[in-house]
Amino acid sequence: MKTISCQGLTKHYGKVIGLDNLDLDIEEGTIFGFLGPNGAGKTTTLKMLTGLSRPTSGRAWVAGEEITLYSLSLKNKIGYLPEEPAFYNWMTGREYLTFVGELFRLPTNEIRTRCDELLEMVDLTQAESRRVGGYSRGMRQRLGIAQALMNKPRVLFLDEPSSALDPIGRLEILKTITRLKTQATTVFLSSHILADVERVCDVVGIIDEGRLIVESEIDDLREHFALSLFELEFEENAFPFIKILEGLPWVEKVVLEEDEDTSKFTIRASDMTRGKRELPKLIAESGLTLRQYQLVMPTLEEVFIELLGKKEE
Amino acid sequence: MASFLVLLKKELKYQVRTYRLLTMVAVFFIFGLATPLLFHYLPELMPESEIQIQLPQFTTTDVVNEYLDTVGQIGMIATILVAMSAVARERELGTAAMTLSKPVGSGAFIAAKLASLALVFIAGIIIGALGCYLYTMVLYGDLKPENFFTANLVIGLYLLFCLAFTVMCSSFFKSQLAAGGLALVCLISLTVSSGLPIIKDYSPGALMAWSREIASGAGSNHWGVLIVSLVLIALTVPAGWQVFKRKEL
Repeated sequence: MKTISCQGLTKHYGKVIGLDNLDLDIEEGTIFGFLGPNGAGKTTTLKMLTGLSRPTSGRAWVAGEEITLYSLSLKNKIGYLPEEPAFYNWMTGREYLTFVGELFRLPTNEIRTRCDELLEMVDLTQAESRRVGGYSRGMRQRLGIAQALMNKPRVLFLDEPSSALDPIGRLEILKTITRLKTQATTVFLSSHILADVERVCDVVGIIDEGRLIVESEIDDLREHFALSLFELEFEENAFPFIKILEGLPWVEKVVLEEDEDTSKFTIRASDMTRGKRELPKLIAESGLTLRQYQLVMPTLEEVFIELLGKKEE
Repeated sequence: MASFLVLLKKELKYQVRTYRLLTMVAVFFIFGLATPLLFHYLPELMPESEIQIQLPQFTTTDVVNEYLDTVGQIGMIATILVAMSAVARERELGTAAMTLSKPVGSGAFIAAKLASLALVFIAGIIIGALGCYLYTMVLYGDLKPENFFTANLVIGLYLLFCLAFTVMCSSFFKSQLAAGGLALVCLISLTVSSGLPIIKDYSPGALMAWSREIASGAGSNHWGVLIVSLVLIALTVPAGWQVFKRKEL
């Protein structure tokens, strides 16, 4: 079941194109990573999907609601953390969460319980009575995440949630996001911290200059942009085996380690599919003792750079 | 309605925590006390010199008129200063986006701002009026309470109009200075033009003159001014809301 769906979603700011004809479908319970360089259109997309900005053209649905500016029924189903969350600095952390709970018309008891849970989750229990104006950037970010979760949203929109956090804070937030998956919450995570996206997301969309370049599951994406490399390591000298490999039509090149050790080498394949099918059989027939066989997969960062690099070319 | 009450509670807390309520009440109270005191003790406060300045014998009417003028003029500036940031500042800081990403209507958002500021000014006017009444009674006597408090009601209506108009301007712009500038120009123009024929019968700017008439007991009824003022106040919230709800955050 699709929880987020966009059809030709477009946003123009005068002559500048913020988002160009976005078509996107995200299944329920997915943690979707929305990647792109600064100014690519990530925040523009998020603002339209949360009903804070009006599309120039196109339509979109979130949790069964068609997005319109300030749609109340939509807002009951979503949680939103902007890139730089702004709070009423004169309120305490707990007061702000209580205020948010009241806006969602939650019963008083539930607000109290939810505040306890969320403050504990984002590690702000000790600071709950302090004014938000005195919070550090990381604390504000954590409070922002807590307020976005107050209504147990069906869809959670997070704009750069971990950018202001220290490594431990980031890890905690990523754990929280992963936990949401078990509650069937769909998470739309905009970020340029690729390692975070790679760690928690199932599906990613890469956007640049307002256009969606690719939408895919991370594993498929990595496989698609696989570096066409096999890494092999044997217990013994594999020189004769290397000679056999060099004669095969799908092998482009065999590269030895720097010390010319013939027991460990890399095969660059011209036909990856054929290589994946034939290589295990050849290894078995060689009689050599295999220590390591690995298909070298690119990191998300490498895919990202590859994609954006190609586009620039 | 529920979200309006939540927002109103938040706004009132803001007025208390940031001492805006206290400041506003104190300012009006000082006006209320200072005017009869100043008029009564002015002859004694004048330094003795060779040039004799003949001061008129101040009456209750002089004191009350001066008080109403001060409240009207300074009050107008105060409403602009306090209300110009009401919506614009929240848009500028991003707090409006945080609040309006929750199930809150933009109409309730603006109405709560106006309601809380109106309550602050009403509290100020009541305290100021009580101060002025008590001191005038003590120092001068002979002040009809019904006339005095009705005059304050009318001046309160004028300030409510200024407040509603400024909140409306604040919902038009992201810059509080732009909002304040527009409100100042419009309200001063309105006050200046309120002496002109026909306009004086319908302009909210004529409320100040009407309040003085009521206080002196010579008041005729200016129903046109009253009705137009009430209608304009009632229209500012929907007008601000209509513009605001089309704006993106």
